[in-house]
Amino acid sequence: MKKRVVALLLSLTLVAASLTGCGKTTDSGNGGAASASTEKKADASTSTDTGASSDELLTIEIYDEAANYQGTQTGWFAKVVKDRFNIELNIIAPQVAGDAVYQTRTATGNLGDIVLLDPAHFTDCVQAGLIKDISGEIKNCSNLMEFDRQITAYNSGVPGNTTGAVYGIPCEMTNTSPTSFSDDVVYSSPMLRWDLYDAVGAPDIADLDGLLDTIKKIQDANPTNEDGDPAYGFSLWPDWDNNDGMIGIANVVQLTTWYGEKIKGSAILTTDDKFIPLTDKNGTYYKMLKFLYKANQMGLVDPDSGSQNWDAACAKMSSGRVYTFWYSWQVGFWNTQERLADGKGMIFIPVLDQKYYTTSDTYYGSGRIFGVGSGVDGEKYDRIMKFLDWYASPEGVTFQHCGIEGFNYTVGADGKYTIMNDNALMDNLPVPEEYGGAGYSDGNNAINQWIVSSISTNPNTGECYGNTHWASWKAATATKTKNEWSARFGVAEPVDWMKAHNALLVRPSVSVSLPSEDADITVIRNQVGQEVKDASWKMIFAKNDAEFDSMWDTMTTNLDSLGFEQLYKFDVDKYTIELEAMQAAK
Amino acid sequence: MTKNKKKWRSFKEFLYILPFVIIVLIFAYYPLYGWVYAFFDYKPPQALTPDKFVGLKWFKSMVENPVKIKQILQVLRNTFAISGLSLLFSWFPMIFAVFLNEIKCVPFKKFVQTVTTIPNFISWVLVFSIAYSVLNSTGVVNTVLMNLHLIDRPIDFLKSTEHIYFKQWLWLTWKNAGWAAIMYIAAITGIDEQMIEAAKVDGASRMQIIRHITIPSILPTYFVIVMLNLANFLTNGMEQFYVFQNSFNKEYIQVLDLYVYNLAMGSGGYSLSVAVSILKTIVSVILLTLTNGFSKLVRGEGFI
Repeated sequence: MKKRVVALLLSLTLVAASLTGCGKTTDSGNGGAASASTEKKADASTSTDTGASSDELLTIEIYDEAANYQGTQTGWFAKVVKDRFNIELNIIAPQVAGDAVYQTRTATGNLGDIVLLDPAHFTDCVQAGLIKDISGEIKNCSNLMEFDRQITAYNSGVPGNTTGAVYGIPCEMTNTSPTSFSDDVVYSSPMLRWDLYDAVGAPDIADLDGLLDTIKKIQDANPTNEDGDPAYGFSLWPDWDNNDGMIGIANVVQLTTWYGEKIKGSAILTTDDKFIPLTDKNGTYYKMLKFLYKANQMGLVDPDSGSQNWDAACAKMSSGRVYTFWYSWQVGFWNTQERLADGKGMIFIPVLDQKYYTTSDTYYGSGRIFGVGSGVDGEKYDRIMKFLDWYASPEGVTFQHCGIEGFNYTVGADGKYTIMNDNALMDNLPVPEEYGGAGYSDGNNAINQWIVSSISTNPNTGECYGNTHWASWKAATATKTKNEWSARFGVAEPVDWMKAHNALLVRPSVSVSLPSEDADITVIRNQVGQEVKDASWKMIFAKNDAEFDSMWDTMTTNLDSLGFEQLYKFDVDKYTIELEAMQAAK
Repeated sequence: MTKNKKKWRSFKEFLYILPFVIIVLIFAYYPLYGWVYAFFDYKPPQALTPDKFVGLKWFKSMVENPVKIKQILQVLRNTFAISGLSLLFSWFPMIFAVFLNEIKCVPFKKFVQTVTTIPNFISWVLVFSIAYSVLNSTGVVNTVLMNLHLIDRPIDFLKSTEHIYFKQWLWLTWKNAGWAAIMYIAAITGIDEQMIEAAKVDGASRMQIIRHITIPSILPTYFVIVMLNLANFLTNGMEQFYVFQNSFNKEYIQVLDLYVYNLAMGSGGYSLSVAVSILKTIVSVILLTLTNGFSKLVRGEGFI
């Protein structure tokens, strides 16, 4: 009899356990993290119930589409936030957890306490009631109100927002102007190793064929890096293909901006403000694909391109096994102070027939939007808004872009900053004890996106936040690489050369809300993207011109059956809204 | 009184299984509710509303033009080829178990068994990073071949589509053989020692014992496993092919499970991928019923 009772009890606990297990998802609707905030209430006897109290530790869930790290923020940035707000940041990163987490979290009605979304997702979530109207509270946030004009411009464009409510805060806004371009380099341009380019005679490069000839000479002269591993003109990677609304190989999509064109989904925006389909043989996608095909014919493309992942490609860049870069940030994997001083830095080499596309300073934001989850309220809401306001304050922005005073930079007598430990991120240097002592890179801000762009002016110094724009940095980096480059091209910075040679096309920053797509277009975009991606990779490695062209033709025929026309029409309609805003802003 | 007691007893016995019934309901039947997504134009975060009902649209769209039909056929061909190959070689773990059992040196036997079982616990992502570091253009294999002057340029193993099904089967076998053999080793342990001793007395050699006693004794186990595999014919699992896929071999490596994943996770074609997996489930149920009927016909008993 006793046995039976035990068995009965056991089975009942099992049932209870399984039932509570599934109950959890439903009641997390109004903020699962809310329970975390009450956990420590017991020992916070001095705290009052009114107003924002930071006596108790508050854990905030951040649904963050920019993050490459999932979990609780650790290290020095966690300490900075905790010291000021007694807040812990729990980051949920779809880039780590997979996009399905978006679907499941939206289905429960709670995406996160703070959300950071791409514009289409943000619009959808506002309409689904997942985003809080922060119109009232934001008025008290003096730092955010510095960007009132941009925030209002964005929110008034959110579809269905007729009452002028504020839902979102754009990212990477600047305090310059919508049409200025303050950077010294553009996002994508051809970059070569200065010493190697110099060694082959620093020739004038007329066009893409000239560029290939130069790279060929460089590779022939240096078939391996210093360690004897084979080196190539180009090393490509497929990880980012079809991401961020692009169609095709991400590397190729980027190269198209060398001729002033910009791929918008399935359409190409040409220099004369027209849209042509991605599949147009006169367009730059075909042109740059052919360029890489020719490079492969000449033996300049790493044979592992297409099957290696980003980490493998990155390791090759850092060990000097790649001779051409095209993203402005790629130089971070190679250009150390020592190499720059030895003249071995990677730097922009002009190709005379090119015209480089760039968007102006991201005055109205760069795309992604911060918002507050609709389930947040009361004290928690108050503290979140205070945190966001600090995140956009000069102090917060300085931490995000410049790092720690006395570790990453020193303040001179004139109030201006001078960089120190410039390898802190690359080599993960330990931070000072008062910031916890752990690695700098490990403790870096894992939100990985800023409300204020590094190109904005820091009111405390009168210079940009970004350290590469500091006068002290420019003086320190007047290295062999830079000096010889300047002597050769007669200008101080790459963008100066582009401006002097009428080779820079600046599109103004605009704030528009683009329509989100329905399920049909989503499926078409996915299938078209896969087809273009697969065909493109095969074309780069095609055996001869005939095979290259027949692959292109097969691809376009297949695309027609997959609904390319419908997608192209949708994309043209969508991006015409943006184009018209750009034309109006000029 | 007795009737009541009986009732009470059966109710209690019902309580014993209730937790498992509930678990099965929650984890096996409740998810079937998700099938409704196949009949709607679904896009997160918007909830399903009646105006988004589209009937069989997504099922029809799978075969609405020659290119899509070709794609589906390609995917089916890959699925059949890879499943067929595993089915064709399904005797391999059994033979492996039989020979493993013949090893008389116990430490060595344990060593082999452990070494072959461990890969089962290595995730496919790690398997691929091993494959990449061994097979890339500067990996061990190419370096050795180049140094021996057998080839003058590196072979792109990971991009090539030659013998791709067989190569994938090799990876799968390397990972699974030891694990799959466990079932047979258990079956061999269950063989009556007396039969083997009797055979030895009659002068049977080792191979004769294997042929006439061991293998016939474990054949029923083998058949059950084959039938279960047959019912799972369309399920290859997607992890292996997901990590090995690239634009060059996808035409031959994209199996049904991976196709569904690429459709849905690529950029959210949830409705279409649910439709594909519904079809897959239906075909699997039909296959299971057929093999069960076949089993009844041949062996006189079904396995479900």
